[in-house]
Amino acid sequence: MKTLTALSGRNAPSDAMEDEVDLNISPIMNVLIMLIPFLTSLAVYAHLSILELSLPPNVGSGTLSGSGKPKLKMTLVLHPEYIAVTYGEKMLDSLPKLGPQYDYTSLSDRLKVRREEMENKEEAVVAVRDEISFKYVVDVLDVCRGAGFSKTAVAGAAATLEAGK
Amino acid sequence: MVFKVNGLARKQEALQSIVKPQMTSLIDILTLLLVFLIQSYNAEGNLITVSSDLQLPLSASKEAPRTAAMVEITRDQVLADGRVLASVADMVSSDSLLNNNIYDYMMAKKKLISDTAQIPEVIIQCDKEHPFVVVKKVMFSCSKAGFSNFSILAVQKE
Repeated sequence: MKTLTALSGRNAPSDAMEDEVDLNISPIMNVLIMLIPFLTSLAVYAHLSILELSLPPNVGSGTLSGSGKPKLKMTLVLHPEYIAVTYGEKMLDSLPKLGPQYDYTSLSDRLKVRREEMENKEEAVVAVRDEISFKYVVDVLDVCRGAGFSKTAVAGAAATLEAGK
Repeated sequence: MVFKVNGLARKQEALQSIVKPQMTSLIDILTLLLVFLIQSYNAEGNLITVSSDLQLPLSASKEAPRTAAMVEITRDQVLADGRVLASVADMVSSDSLLNNNIYDYMMAKKKLISDTAQIPEVIIQCDKEHPFVVVKKVMFSCSKAGFSNFSILAVQKE
């Protein structure tokens, strides 16, 4: 009991001292207030990226094989109602639109399967009808990249092409 | 009586000296803000200025933009270096794939580039809602002027 009293007696002044000790946070506040406008001015909220394209075989250079003829590539025809996957004159797949959007999941799956069957596994051509919105072209280019085609070319699709109907 | 007033004043003074602003919550907010800003901090800065009159498409590509000749297809106009080259309406209605203004501008640009070792490349900024025909005509005009490497500027998907 005596010890307790003695201890409590001894601790009493230090408790009072702790109550009085006050951290000076002004410098850290100053630093924070200076840092925040600086970082705000250098912050990037929307990260930009680029998608590289090449021209279609009949326009660009360097896409011709040794024989002078364009190499056969997988071609995706972007139509307002469907996406057709073709190879030369052969129609491989036709994926109709699902509501306002194209069926990118099925397209990605089909491209991965078809790519394994192709001789040219790196290059693909996206042939787009004139009236298609640019955002869909970018989406399809992304799907091609995701399926493993590292080089993609963009071309205009003939309005008379009715494949897939 | 005087003693009582003095005592009250002293009490008030003592209370005022005890009352301090609560800084913990403010420091918490500032720390969170600091962490968020450090995450979105980019020391390189933006090499490319996006035109305010267009909405870029979203892309999963992670390739960072580089400096190159830039063609901007805004909601109404086709611009390069702030100079109006054509209107989008004219581009859509035109029967020809070649636009002479774009061709002439890109030819002049090519001459400037040919003095350096730079590879002729065009970055196209295009509003995501435009029909593809506009992009096709811009690409055709640029390719006729000798630009065969194209890139599309997009906003990275999160």
